[in-house]
Amino acid sequence: MKNIFITAILSIWFVSCSTDELDQSPISDLGANGFYSNTEEFEIAINGAYSTLRFFPDTQFHLQEVRSDNMYAITETGVRPFEPVNNLDNSIATNTYLSDVWDTNFEGILRVNTILESLNDNVVSDQATRERMEGEAKFLRAFFYFDLVKTFGKVPLIDQVYTPAQTLEIGRSDVSEIYNLIVSDLNAAISLLPPSFSGNQLGKATSWAAKAMLGKVYLTKSGPTYGIEGPGLNSGEYNLAIDLFDDVINNGPFDYEDDYATIFDYDNENNSEIIFDIQYNSGAEVGADYPSITVPDAYLRANGAGFTNGEDNKRVSEDLINSYDLLDVRDDVTIIDGYTDENNIFNDVTFYGKYIDLNFKGRDRFDWGLNYPVIRYTDVQLMRAEAILMSNTGRQTDVDTPVNFIRTRAGLVGNLANVDIDGLLAEKRLEFAGENTRWADLVRTGKVVQVMNAWITNDDVSGKIATMKEDFVIYPVPSNQITVKEGLYQQNEGYN
Amino acid sequence: MKNKRTLLMSFLMLVLIHASSYSQQKTITGTVLDSSSLPMIGVNIVIKGTNSGTATDFDGNYSILVSEGQTLVYSYLGYETKERLIGSSTTYNLTMKASSTDLDEVIVVGYGSQKKGDITSSVASMKTDLLDQRPVAAVDQAMVGQMAGVRVVQTSGVPGQGFNVQVRGAGSISASNQPLYVIDGFPIDQQTQSTSGGYGSGNPLDNISPNDIESIQVLKDAAAAAIYGSRASNGVVLITTKKGKSGAPVINFNTYVGVNKTVKKLDVLSSEEWIERASEAIDYNWVNSVTDGSRNANQTSAEREAILGSFNRNFIKDDRWAMPGHPGLEFVDWQDELFRTGLVKNYQISARGGTDNIKYYVGADHLNKEGVAIGLGYKRYSARANVEVSPNDKLTFGVNLAPSYSIASNPGVEGKDQQLHLAVSATPVNEDGVDYNTGDNTVYTWGASRPSPVRYVQNTTGDTKLFRTLATMFGKYEVIPGLEVKSSLNFDNSDSSYKFFTPGFTDRNRTASARHRTYRRQSFVNENTVTYNNTFDDKHDLNLLAGGSYSTYKFDEQRIQSAGGFATDYITTLNAANGINQGGTYTSETKRVLMSYFGRAQYSYDDRYLLTASIRRDGSSNFGKDTKWGTFPSASLGWKINNEEFMKTQNVFRDLKLRASWGVAGNNGVGDYASIATMGISNYSLGGSSMPGQVPSNSANADLSWETAETYDIGLDVGVLNNRIYASLDYYVKTNSDLLLNVPVPTSSGFGSAVTNIGEVQNKGWELELTTRNFTGDFNWTTNINLSSNQNEVKKLGPDNSPIYGGSFDIQHNVLQVGLPMYTLFLVQRDGILSQEDIDNGYPTLGNQSAGDHKYVDFDGNGSIGPEDRQLSGDPNPDLLWSVNNTFKYKGFDLSVLVQGQQGGLIYSTFGRAINRTSMGFVENTVGRARDRWRSAESPGAGVEGKVNGSFGRIKNTDWLYSSDYWRIRNITLGYDLGAILKSKSIKGLRVYVTMENWFGGDKYSGGFNPEAVNSSGDDYGGFPLSRSIISGLNFTF
Repeated sequence: MKNIFITAILSIWFVSCSTDELDQSPISDLGANGFYSNTEEFEIAINGAYSTLRFFPDTQFHLQEVRSDNMYAITETGVRPFEPVNNLDNSIATNTYLSDVWDTNFEGILRVNTILESLNDNVVSDQATRERMEGEAKFLRAFFYFDLVKTFGKVPLIDQVYTPAQTLEIGRSDVSEIYNLIVSDLNAAISLLPPSFSGNQLGKATSWAAKAMLGKVYLTKSGPTYGIEGPGLNSGEYNLAIDLFDDVINNGPFDYEDDYATIFDYDNENNSEIIFDIQYNSGAEVGADYPSITVPDAYLRANGAGFTNGEDNKRVSEDLINSYDLLDVRDDVTIIDGYTDENNIFNDVTFYGKYIDLNFKGRDRFDWGLNYPVIRYTDVQLMRAEAILMSNTGRQTDVDTPVNFIRTRAGLVGNLANVDIDGLLAEKRLEFAGENTRWADLVRTGKVVQVMNAWITNDDVSGKIATMKEDFVIYPVPSNQITVKEGLYQQNEGYN
Repeated sequence: MKNKRTLLMSFLMLVLIHASSYSQQKTITGTVLDSSSLPMIGVNIVIKGTNSGTATDFDGNYSILVSEGQTLVYSYLGYETKERLIGSSTTYNLTMKASSTDLDEVIVVGYGSQKKGDITSSVASMKTDLLDQRPVAAVDQAMVGQMAGVRVVQTSGVPGQGFNVQVRGAGSISASNQPLYVIDGFPIDQQTQSTSGGYGSGNPLDNISPNDIESIQVLKDAAAAAIYGSRASNGVVLITTKKGKSGAPVINFNTYVGVNKTVKKLDVLSSEEWIERASEAIDYNWVNSVTDGSRNANQTSAEREAILGSFNRNFIKDDRWAMPGHPGLEFVDWQDELFRTGLVKNYQISARGGTDNIKYYVGADHLNKEGVAIGLGYKRYSARANVEVSPNDKLTFGVNLAPSYSIASNPGVEGKDQQLHLAVSATPVNEDGVDYNTGDNTVYTWGASRPSPVRYVQNTTGDTKLFRTLATMFGKYEVIPGLEVKSSLNFDNSDSSYKFFTPGFTDRNRTASARHRTYRRQSFVNENTVTYNNTFDDKHDLNLLAGGSYSTYKFDEQRIQSAGGFATDYITTLNAANGINQGGTYTSETKRVLMSYFGRAQYSYDDRYLLTASIRRDGSSNFGKDTKWGTFPSASLGWKINNEEFMKTQNVFRDLKLRASWGVAGNNGVGDYASIATMGISNYSLGGSSMPGQVPSNSANADLSWETAETYDIGLDVGVLNNRIYASLDYYVKTNSDLLLNVPVPTSSGFGSAVTNIGEVQNKGWELELTTRNFTGDFNWTTNINLSSNQNEVKKLGPDNSPIYGGSFDIQHNVLQVGLPMYTLFLVQRDGILSQEDIDNGYPTLGNQSAGDHKYVDFDGNGSIGPEDRQLSGDPNPDLLWSVNNTFKYKGFDLSVLVQGQQGGLIYSTFGRAINRTSMGFVENTVGRARDRWRSAESPGAGVEGKVNGSFGRIKNTDWLYSSDYWRIRNITLGYDLGAILKSKSIKGLRVYVTMENWFGGDKYSGGFNPEAVNSSGDDYGGFPLSRSIISGLNFTF
C-alpha cells in the first residue's frame, strides 16, 4: 500500500517532469531565430521594410507643408501639435511628428539592415532575385536616411544591426558621412534594380526611381549650408544631378499626364508621371490616412467619412490662394474652398483636398486607397531646371519649356521666357501645393529665410508666427532621444 | 488489488469500532454559560472521536447520549475550546472563556500550517469570521483595511473589476506588483493589472465568493514567501476555503438586499453657468477678432453675421440663450442622467458537517449587483464542494471543486473618451435633451459632437461572461507517524467571452460596431510534498518539508471585430456585420512552464527558540536560455522571551516574541517569450493588393530572468494586561534588484525600449497591528488598528542611471530617478494668474499668453515657459495607510465600524487635465472652479482659473496635481441576534443586520471621481467612482 502510493507519486512526478519543456517557442508569432532562411521569407521581410513608408506622407505634410508659407495652420481654440510647427516655435523637441520621423525611419533602417545582413546565396540562391532584394533594401535605407538628414541634419549612422546597448555608444555622424552612405546605397540600387516591375510587384522601387532619388540627393546636398549642420553642404554637385535627371527624362518610360487632375485620380494610379510612390489600398488594412489629415473632420462627417475628434481645420495661406490665376485649374484640384457641415451651416474655410475623392471613401478616415506620389515626372523636370539655374549651366530652354508646359496644362495663357529661380519657385509652388515639397524647395534654393519672413509680415494677421531664422531650416532632435543618455546627442542650435 | 483490500478491511474495522462504542450509554444534561453567566446559544458539543454531537439551545442547555469514559468537546467561535471526561455524573455545567489571544490559532503558511505563536516571519492574518455576514462582493474588497502592510487599492468602481493589491509597496517598475494567490494550496496563475486599470485576461480572484472563505493569510516578508520562489516577491496571499468539520450538519442561509449609488458626483458647470461662460468666450472672440476696435460685444448675431458675411459659431452666440425659458433648448445634467440607484442582492446557502470518514462543505451563492450607472452590473453564480474522505486514519483523499459563472456588464463607462468622461464634459445645453445627436438628431451648433452618453450606454452591450472551474484533487498518506506524503493535482480553467455591440443610431458616426473576444486560460499544477514532524525529548520540535512542483499555463485568445457597420441595428452578432476588421480579428496562443523543487526546516527548542529555513529552485520557460533556473533561500529566527525562566515571575507580558528574518524571493513577470526575438506583421500594398510583410518586433535577451527581492524583517509581538492589548510591530527593508526594466534605448536601434534586468528599488517601512479589548464583559468592545508606512526609493536604473520619464499625453510628467520615490511627479509649477503688469514686465509666458492666462514658474530662468521648467513635485505613494475597526457587542446586538484611509500621496490626473485643460474653448463643459475664473483685472475670481479665451498651449503643470488623501467609513454594520427571541429547536441562529458600505468619506480630489484610480499609464483618466450602499441582511443557521 505504502509503496504503491509513493510509487504513484514519484511516477507522476517523473512523467511530468522534463526540463526540455522549459524551452518554449512562441506559438502565434514567428521567432526571428530561423526566419530569413529562404526566398519567400525574404520577400515578406522586404514587404515589411516597404511598409515603413506608410507613415511618410503624414509627417511630410505636418513638417514640410504646414511649416511653409503655403499654410496658415492656426486654430481659434485649442492647441494642436501642428501649430508650434506652423508657428516656428523654438521649443518643439517634444513634438510627436518629430519622434515619428526619427523613430520610424530608424525602425525601417533596422528592418533593412537585418535583411542585408542575412541575405546571401545560401538563403536566396537565384542571383537576379538576390540582387534585386539587395537593391530594394539599399534604396529604402537611402530613402530613410535622406528623410532623416533633411529633418534633423546630423543623425547616428547605423549601417548594420546593432543591439540596443551598442547604440548607446553611437552618437550623431556628420551630415557628409550620412550622405556617403545614401549615395553609395543609391548607386548600388541603380545597378541592382530592374527598370520596371509588374503584377504584384508593381509599386516597388525601380532603377529609375533610384536615379531620380539620387538626383534629388545631389541637388539637396549642393544647396546652401545656412551656417548650420543641415541638409545643404554647398557641395557643387549640380552637374551630377543634371546628368541623372537627363537620364530619367531622356531614357525613362515617363511622361507628363495631359490633364493635371488625372495625376491624382484614384482610378489612374501608377500613371505615366509616377516615378516612385507609396502604395495604399483600401479595405485591406493597408489604407492611407494622409488624404484626411489635411481636411477638417466636420467636412468628412458631413460627407459620411468622418470621425469625431478627428482633424482640425488646417488653413491654406491667403498668400497661396491669391497666387492662383483665375484661369488656373490647379487650385480647384488642390484646395477646397469652404463646405457645408452636417447642420447645413456653410463654413468659409480653405484647406487642401488634393487627395480626397468622396467617391472612393474607404471604411473610415484611415482607409483611403490612393497611392502617394513621392517623385513624379514634372518634379524631375523642375528639379533639373532648378539645378540648371543654381549652377548657371545655361540650358535656359530646359528651364522655360517645362515651366511653360505646366502653365499651359493648368489652363494659363501666355508663355514665360528666361524664367529665373524665383520664377521657377513661384510656378512650382502652384503646381506642387499640397504635395509637401515647398519647404524643401525653399531650403535647397537658399530662399527659405527671406521668403518666409516676407510672408509672415504679410499673412500672419494674428501675430502668432515667430521670425524665421537659419536654425529653423532643420528641426530639433526629439527630446526623448536626448534624455536616453545624457550627452549622447547634442540638441540642434536654436532649439531648447 | 492489494490497495482495494486494505481499504475494505479498514472500513470494516471502523464499522466494528463504531458499533462497539454504543454500550453503557446514558443521557447527560447541562448548561453552558459565558464568563458573565449568560447562557451561550449554539455551542457545538461533540463526543471526541465520533461524529455524534449536539448544540446548546437558547437557554444554553443541552442534553446528549454518551457513555462513561468518553470525552465531550465544547467549542464556540472566539472562545477557548473545552473538554470534559464523562464520569458517573449526569449533569455537566460549564463556563466558557473568550479566547484571549489568537496565538494558539493554527494558521496556514506556504505548504503547511503553523501555530500563530510560532511564526518567525511576517504573516498577516485576516479575521474572516464575519466575512459571510458582511455584504462584500469580492474577496479583494473584503481585504480593504484589514491587514497592516497590505494595501488594497480599489482602482475602479466598476463592479466585477479586480483590485490592485500591494504588499509592502511596489518594488517592481515594469513587472507586476500583484501578489501570488494560493487557494487551498493551489498557486493561481498571476495576472498583471494593465495600464488601463483592468485585468483583461482574468484575475486570480475572479468569481471567488467571499462567503466560501475560511481564512486569509498574507505572507509579507521573503522568509515567509520565499517557499514560493520566483513568484513571491510581491508577497503571497493564502486563501483557505471552508472545509467540513466532524459533527452534525450545520446549514447556513445568508442573504442581503440593498441599494447602491455613486460615492461622488463631479462638480461641473450647470447649464446656466455654461451659457454664461460660452457667451463670454464668444464675445471675447468677436471683439478681439480685429485690432481696429470696430467690433463690440453689444453687436447682435445678425449684425455680426452681416459683417462676417457668413456664420461662425466662434463669433456668434445662440440668441435663445438670452431668451426667457430658452425656447427650443434643453438643459441636461448629464451625470444625473447617467448615474442611478442600483439594487444589490445576494443569496448564499451552505452546509457543512461530517464524520471521521467523510467531511464536507457544500455551498451555493448568487450575487446580483446593479451598478451605479446605467448599463453597469455584475451577476455571479458560484458553487463549491470541498469533500475529504479518510478510509483509514492514515489515508485521506479529497476533492475541492468550485464551478462559477459571472456576467459583468460594462458598456464602456471608464477611461478616456468613455461615457463617464463624456457625461462630465458633454455640453449641458442642446436641442434634443438626452436624445442628443442620436438617430436623426444632429450636433448642436455650439455643442460637443459626441452623441448622448446616456442613450449610448442604454443601447450598448458590453458583457463579459466568465465560466471558471477551480478543481483540486489530493491524497495524503501517513507513512509512519509524523511522516506524510501528499500529492495534489490542481486545475483552473477560465472561459471568458466578451461581447460588445453598439448600434448605429447612438454612435457618433451612425455606424454600428461589434467586437467579440473569447479566451481560455488553463493552469495545471501538480505538487508533491513529503513532510516530517516530530518532537524529541519534549524540547526539540522539528518539522521538515521537501517537495517538487510542475505547472503549465496556457492562454488561448480569439478576437473578431466588425468593420464598416452592420446591415441592421437589430442583429447584434457579427454575421450581420458589413465587414470584418482584419487587424482586430485573430487568434493567439501562449504557453508557459514552471518547474520547482523546494524544502524547508522548522525547528523549535523548548518553545523558546525558533528557527526556520527554506529554499526553492524555480525553472521557467520565460527566462532567457542562459538563465533558466533561479534559487531563492530564506531564514528566520524567533525568540519567545516570555517563555524564558526569568520571565516566569513577571505578569506584565503575557506574550513577548522577537522575530528576525531574511529571504530572497523573485518576480518572474517576464512576458511570455520576451527573451526571444520575434517578428511582427506589417503588410504593404503592392500591385493593388495587400502583400504580407514581417518585421523584427523586439530584440532578444538570452539573459532575461527574474527580479530579485531581498527582504530583511525584524518584528516584535507583545501582549500585555493579560493580552487585553496585543501589538505586532514590524520593520522591514526590501530591496528589489535586477528589475525587469523596459529601458528606453536610442531608437536608432530600431526599438524604443528593451527589456533588461537592471535597476534597483528599495522599500523600507514599518507596520503596526494593534488589538485592544477595551471591554470584555457584557458589553464587549474590541478595537483593531492597522498602521503602515512605506518609503520607496529608486536606487539604480539603466545604463548611467539615466532618469526614465513617463506619462502619456503631451510631455512626460513623471520620472524614475535614482534617490527619489518611483514615479516622482515632474511638473511645471503653477503660480496664479498673469496680470497685465506681469505681461508688461516681460514675465515669462507659455507661447503668446496675455493677462488673465495662467502664470507658471520659469524654473530654468530662460525667459519662456517650456518643458525644461518642469520640477520634481512630490510622489504618488501615500506616506501612511491606516484603518481602525471597532467592534461592539451587547447582548444580542453587534456593531462594527471600519474606518480606513491614507495620507501623504498625490494623484496626477490626466482626467482633470482633459476636463479642465487650458485653452479648451467653450464647447465642452468643465469643472466647477471655472465659476470663479478670471474675467477681468477688476474681477479676477479665485485666482486659480484663468480667462476663458486662453490661446496658449497645454503644459503638464501642478494644476492637475491633487492630494490622494482620503478617509472612508468602509463599513458600518449593526446586527441583532434574534436567536434569543425565536425559541425553536430547529433554528440555531438568526441574525439580522443593516450595513452601510462606503457611505461616509471624504477626499481632496476635485479632478476626478476616485483618488485611488489608476487606468492610464499609472494615472487617472476617467476612473469610475466607488459605490456606496445601504444593505439589510439575514444570517440563518439551522
